[in-house]
Amino acid sequence: MLSRTFRAGLTVKNSVRSLSSTTKTLSSYDQPDFSSYLHNRSESTNRNFAYFMVGSMGLLSAAGAKSTVETFLSSMAASADVLAMAKVEVKLGAIPEGKNVIVKWQGKPVFIRHRTASEIDEANAVEINGLRDPQADADRVKKPEWLIMLGICTHLGCVPIGESGDFGGWFCPCHGSHYDISGRIRKGPAPLNLEIPEYDFTDEETLLVG
Amino acid sequence: MLSALFQRNSVYVATVFGGAFAFEGFFDKAINTWYDNHNKGKLWKDVKGKFLEGGDEDEDDD
Repeated sequence: MLSRTFRAGLTVKNSVRSLSSTTKTLSSYDQPDFSSYLHNRSESTNRNFAYFMVGSMGLLSAAGAKSTVETFLSSMAASADVLAMAKVEVKLGAIPEGKNVIVKWQGKPVFIRHRTASEIDEANAVEINGLRDPQADADRVKKPEWLIMLGICTHLGCVPIGESGDFGGWFCPCHGSHYDISGRIRKGPAPLNLEIPEYDFTDEETLLVG
Repeated sequence: MLSALFQRNSVYVATVFGGAFAFEGFFDKAINTWYDNHNKGKLWKDVKGKFLEGGDEDEDDD
């Protein structure tokens, strides 16, 4: 009984299927021709194509999202005109006597040296007439114990090394310029003393460069 | 060949993200090249010689 119904059902189904596949021949109506929409590619080719398209779209969206986030973040960075006017504040209390500190100001290194009394005497004792770029130490500092200058060799722009060289000041390793404890050129190819930037002592403990 | 990438989701996603980076570089380069070509003769780097007489200064750091 059961198997009969089953078989009957199957038959009906089959007949329906066979009917539907031959509708065109049986029907008197014009049927649309779908054959141009059909393809004979394999299922895996088909699936790979779909995955490829999905992946490509993911790739494009990821690239777009990344560049959107990047643009947004870079818009929060300081702009070039702000950076050009930038000043740097340094707490001098943290610099012990006889020590160098290098801070970055407008992309350039600034040397700050807390000079000892003997170094100040040494800087003042130099006979300035014999120098290549004659300049008294008093003209190069606002307070004798604080020497502030741009750490860029006046020869070709290297950054000199502190506490070295023949004159106890700075030494440029690129072409061997020696600067003394006041930053004046004493030996080597550099034509000028190390440059002094604009700076001010806003109070006893604070230096403002720029 | 391609299906090797689709076998595992981790590989698939990694490929997509890695591809995004590669694509971004390629895309930027392509657009920049096109832009420079399209505006040839009007860009600063093209007209620089006209305004800065005496050649370009060597900005070699050494």
